Amino acid sequence: MSVMADKLAGVWPEITLGLGACVCMALGLAKASSTRKLTSWVAGLFLLLSGVLAIAGPQPTSGLILPPQMVLYVKLAVVAVGVVLLLVAAQLPSSWRATHRAEEGIEPFDPANVMRGEFFAFFLFSLAGVMLTTTANDLVWLFLSLELVSLPTYVMVATSQDRIRAQESAVKYFFLGALAVAVFLYGFTLIYGATGFTDLSRVQSAAATTTSPLLTLGIVLAIVGISFKIAAVPMHFYTADVYQGAATPVTAFLAFVPKTAGFVAIIILLSMLPQWPTHGPIMWLLWIMAALTMTVGNVMGLLQTSVKRTLAYSSIAHSGYLLVGLLAGPALLTSGGGGSGAIGNGIAAVLFYLVAYALSTIGAFAVLGCVQVDGHEADSFDDISGLSTKHPGLAAVMLVCVLSLVGLPPLLGFIGKIYLFGSAMAHRGENPAFVWLVVVAVLNSAVSAVYYLRIIGACYFGKPSGRTEPQHCPSRRIAALVCGIAVVVMGVAGNRLVTLARESSQLAQPSQQTPAKVVSDELPTDIHGG
Amino acid sequence: MSLQLAKLIPWLPALSAVVCGICCIKRPLRKLAAPVCVLSILAGFVITLGIQSHVTGHHEGGAVGQTVTLFEWVHAGSFHVDMAYYLDPLTIVMLFVVTGIGTLVALYASGYMAGDRGYARFFAYVSIFIFAMTTLVLADNLVLLYLGWEGVGLCSYLLIGFYYQKPSAVAAAKKAFIVNRIGDLGFALGIFLTFHHFGQVTYTDIFNAAALYHAHGVEVPWTVQLIPYLLMLGAFGKSAQIPLYVWLPDAMEGPTPVSALIHAATMVTAGVYMIARLTPLFMLSPGALELVAIVGCVTALFAGTIALCQYDIKRIYAYSTISQLGYMFLGVGVLCTSGAVFHLFTHAFFKALLFLTAGSVMHALAGQLDLRKMSGLRRKMPVTCWLMFAGCLALAGFPFTAGFYSKDEILAAVMEKGLTEHSALYITLAVLGLFTAFLTAFYTFRLWFRVFMGPEKYEMGEEHHSDEDSHTTQDAAHGSTSGGIEVAHHHEPHEMPLFPMNLPLVVLAAGALLAGVLGHRWMAHMIGSSSAAVVSQVAEHGEAATETTHHLTLLPGVDLHTSMMIISSVIAVLGIVLAAYYHWLNRPAADRLASQFKGLVTLLANKYYIDEINDAVIVKPLNLLGQVFFAVDQLIVMGLVQFVGFVPRALGLSIQPTQQGKLQGYGLGMAAGAAIIALLVVMAMH
Amino acid sequence: MNDIALAHYLFTGAVLFALGMVGFVTRRNMILMFLCTEMMFQGVVVSLVGFSRLHGNDTGQTFVIFVLTIAAAEAALALGLVVLLYRRKRTLDAGAWAELNG
Repeated sequence: MSVMADKLAGVWPEITLGLGACVCMALGLAKASSTRKLTSWVAGLFLLLSGVLAIAGPQPTSGLILPPQMVLYVKLAVVAVGVVLLLVAAQLPSSWRATHRAEEGIEPFDPANVMRGEFFAFFLFSLAGVMLTTTANDLVWLFLSLELVSLPTYVMVATSQDRIRAQESAVKYFFLGALAVAVFLYGFTLIYGATGFTDLSRVQSAAATTTSPLLTLGIVLAIVGISFKIAAVPMHFYTADVYQGAATPVTAFLAFVPKTAGFVAIIILLSMLPQWPTHGPIMWLLWIMAALTMTVGNVMGLLQTSVKRTLAYSSIAHSGYLLVGLLAGPALLTSGGGGSGAIGNGIAAVLFYLVAYALSTIGAFAVLGCVQVDGHEADSFDDISGLSTKHPGLAAVMLVCVLSLVGLPPLLGFIGKIYLFGSAMAHRGENPAFVWLVVVAVLNSAVSAVYYLRIIGACYFGKPSGRTEPQHCPSRRIAALVCGIAVVVMGVAGNRLVTLARESSQLAQPSQQTPAKVVSDELPTDIHGG
Repeated sequence: MSLQLAKLIPWLPALSAVVCGICCIKRPLRKLAAPVCVLSILAGFVITLGIQSHVTGHHEGGAVGQTVTLFEWVHAGSFHVDMAYYLDPLTIVMLFVVTGIGTLVALYASGYMAGDRGYARFFAYVSIFIFAMTTLVLADNLVLLYLGWEGVGLCSYLLIGFYYQKPSAVAAAKKAFIVNRIGDLGFALGIFLTFHHFGQVTYTDIFNAAALYHAHGVEVPWTVQLIPYLLMLGAFGKSAQIPLYVWLPDAMEGPTPVSALIHAATMVTAGVYMIARLTPLFMLSPGALELVAIVGCVTALFAGTIALCQYDIKRIYAYSTISQLGYMFLGVGVLCTSGAVFHLFTHAFFKALLFLTAGSVMHALAGQLDLRKMSGLRRKMPVTCWLMFAGCLALAGFPFTAGFYSKDEILAAVMEKGLTEHSALYITLAVLGLFTAFLTAFYTFRLWFRVFMGPEKYEMGEEHHSDEDSHTTQDAAHGSTSGGIEVAHHHEPHEMPLFPMNLPLVVLAAGALLAGVLGHRWMAHMIGSSSAAVVSQVAEHGEAATETTHHLTLLPGVDLHTSMMIISSVIAVLGIVLAAYYHWLNRPAADRLASQFKGLVTLLANKYYIDEINDAVIVKPLNLLGQVFFAVDQLIVMGLVQFVGFVPRALGLSIQPTQQGKLQGYGLGMAAGAAIIALLVVMAMH
Repeated sequence: MNDIALAHYLFTGAVLFALGMVGFVTRRNMILMFLCTEMMFQGVVVSLVGFSRLHGNDTGQTFVIFVLTIAAAEAALALGLVVLLYRRKRTLDAGAWAELNG
């Protein structure tokens, strides 16, 4: 019983989100349109409440795989980015003709056609899924929470806008998602088969005593399956189509929520191993995945004519960068604690970059969402051509966010990339192949600048097309502004977030201390400055 | 008032820049831009007043400033750079100049720029400028200083090119930017070398390290000796000294308030400030200081002679600015930092005043700037006439005006150094300085007598006040700026309104006349207790020197300082009288004189053909070299670039077939990927 | 006996999984494709039960319950989606949905 109470203690924020989702659904069925319009506010309220609970509420005392600070960091990141996403999405389902008409009283109210309540319920469910992923201590839990992240997003994609391409992207997303789930589930099965436990802490101790090829294969398959969620090779095929087809706010959602859940899940899986994989098949798997993912993302990004597709391929490429940090693994100098330890911690870099990438890309998507062309959301380069003349503010946000994606100092993305690549360089003592991965990553960054600059070029030097009209959604503009400011301000003064990310990522891997210590003594320290 | 308030001084203008930026977008709000900008700068001035006593009253004798940290900026290993402000009396003096003159000029501009299409944009730029300039002045380390340095450079670029439809303005902006880059390259290298050698970039750390050299009398390594030379290059670029002065005259393409604020009173003095601030570092390398003094003096003379034969009012003032900056460098070069900063301080008043009154004249004459096309305007513009007279007196160094005291302090210091050290070089420099003072008095009053005295006649400029929407490329320039003032309707020279235009000028005029009498003791105290104070070896050396100084004299019966005062007064009056003769009472005589020295006059009028020489010696060969490189580029590099650019695209095209949009295709890709990975892992484990 | 039984379980599971994967790629009808993913799930389930017997604990079988739950949830989603899609294009051919590409 006490175990149950203990587990519940850790999930109050998730419970709050679940409750919020139920309230949103109920509100969505209200007859008065003014009440239904409240759903986004209610969703935001519950989101903030769960954030408060995550900080001030009861903390789980035991039974976590990830360190409690990391859990807290991810939960707060989810809340913070979730609020921004909510701002982007606030007016979304009203663009459904049926909803709109029902609200205007043109057509009789038909609950089947009115999406508002459900949309925000799914929104909250999905965020709750990410939070649950962080607290997972059992394979079943991990599986269920990952599904809780994904299942709502299928519906969100399908119903986000009343266009045939939204449904096309939904069908691709759903079917390929189901395929990927089967793959990682098979991986989970093999992990269970190899150790006899689904309880992750027991899996960890079992893995520490015996090395079994079955376990390795299981973890590999699980990672490959989960790479669907982070849009990495070989599960990246859906990304561009789905991102392009979904309504822009949902695209922004996809760029952050499943990716975060996926990376957290992979961190959990890798921490099952007796030590972080710096050699052997899993390391090479991640190495090749990282290199291929960023290369595919960037070279395909070069060929696009649609801004949304370009940003989708950029999302793939960024997953590749994130994999670099993941591969580098936790800090070498666990006792360092000082100002210079941050650079060696790959996990901290991943956690930091997830937020950095989310803010930059959500800002870009929010700007796209603020512009309408012929009644549809802006999509192609022509649609945003000459944006700066009519909407200098939006163009400025786009500029800042895209430059942050390029990784230009002093913006947020630059700091994120420094930490990601720096962490891999700091670990080069363990495996020289990391250096080559960083070389590939830097080359890729250079290639990516070409298509990012095309976006800026279109905004600033393109001829304004007469067809664009602003979409009336103040909250989306606010979200864009928030992202733009955050990208600049946190870039200049982001030390606090880096510190948070670093403090949160002291992984409790049983025998990680000893081998890492040995290596750290031989590691040249010049990267820490001197 | 708490010292912590100093943090607000840069950030209020930064906030104002944002507000003005919004005003820029929302046209109905544009009128709001000026008051916001003026108030934000004024607030900085008030804060400076408030914290002044904290900084100056805090310590006796020691040169210890106080640091206010905003936040930690970069901490990487041993490299620490904070967003921190260093407050010592030198900072306070500079803040007074920047915020005080800034407020007055912004106030003037709120009238001057009225009716211009870029009204809000202008004030946004000015706000950013004040932000950058105060950051530069307040910085507690070289990196932050550099940030402010580049920031003011950027604003200068933006403001010179403010009328971006005018090709000459754009060209001038580019010129300023490029010339400054050359200087900044040296500056940046200097900072790297400082960090490399001292391991720190914070002033206090550098000063402490430099003090060690003095204390132990250790041989200073040549790398350290090199640092001042590199930093100097940056100062020469920013403060328009030979050889990097060419951008400043062209910079007058910007709106006149900008010329007054940035290109006369504040930004161009940043180089002087930097050297004064880093005096302990410069003292490690005596050769560097000597070079600074020589360059300063030569620049002063050189620019002064060019100013003699120019006809464009603003250009005359521009050359005079270069010349006066030369004095300041001469001052820091002989370690008379107090005199140099004092001259910086007084110069800010009278040069801002001169530029703004020139702006008024230009405003009244629809953009006319040619001396030959105006005369006897004193009746049309009486207030402007006497305001400019005050400024001219100060610039000419007429006894007991501000310029008299500050210039005299520098020249006396140079002469003293020359006589005590029996150095022919410094005596020559002092004499050249005195000669330049004569030239200054002459060309200053040449301008004033030409414009305001003599028979009344004038030609209006081409830029008629027009409806603001009918701006064409041509008249986007200065003259059309006055659409908002009542003058828009009659085309005749007129006086400026008291508020907001003439009132700030009256304040400036008061400063130009009185700052010297009232300020010279205060300034000596301020600089004496700042980091720019000349300490250690020179001080000890000076103990003995003071004895001899009293015996030094040029004129019988008075000490050196007083005799220099008397000499320069005589020289100034002589210059003014000559100018009155040739340019008021007997103008034909001036023309006869000019025709006698036709060659010289042409040489001077064409600014020694420096631009042409630069063009022939530097630009043309570079262009040629560029052509050669371009050819090489086309053949080899472009081919390589094309190839490099082609590879990712080709790669993309080759994998594009994987993205055909077919569900089954994607499924196949995923399934095959998973299968291959599983297979490889299994094989790897066996 | 136990070992042979385990091998059989695992083999059956793997075959089901692989068949499902192949079917997903080769079938064009969306309902059949979905059934193929269900088949992959069943392959997983069979393996889980096999491992559960090997280790002599119930956790594997508990896992199965949850897998089935999720499979049911996916089925519900799939059917809803298929109905929506069929209404738009009057066909169940997955190939009809290939407008987005590149």
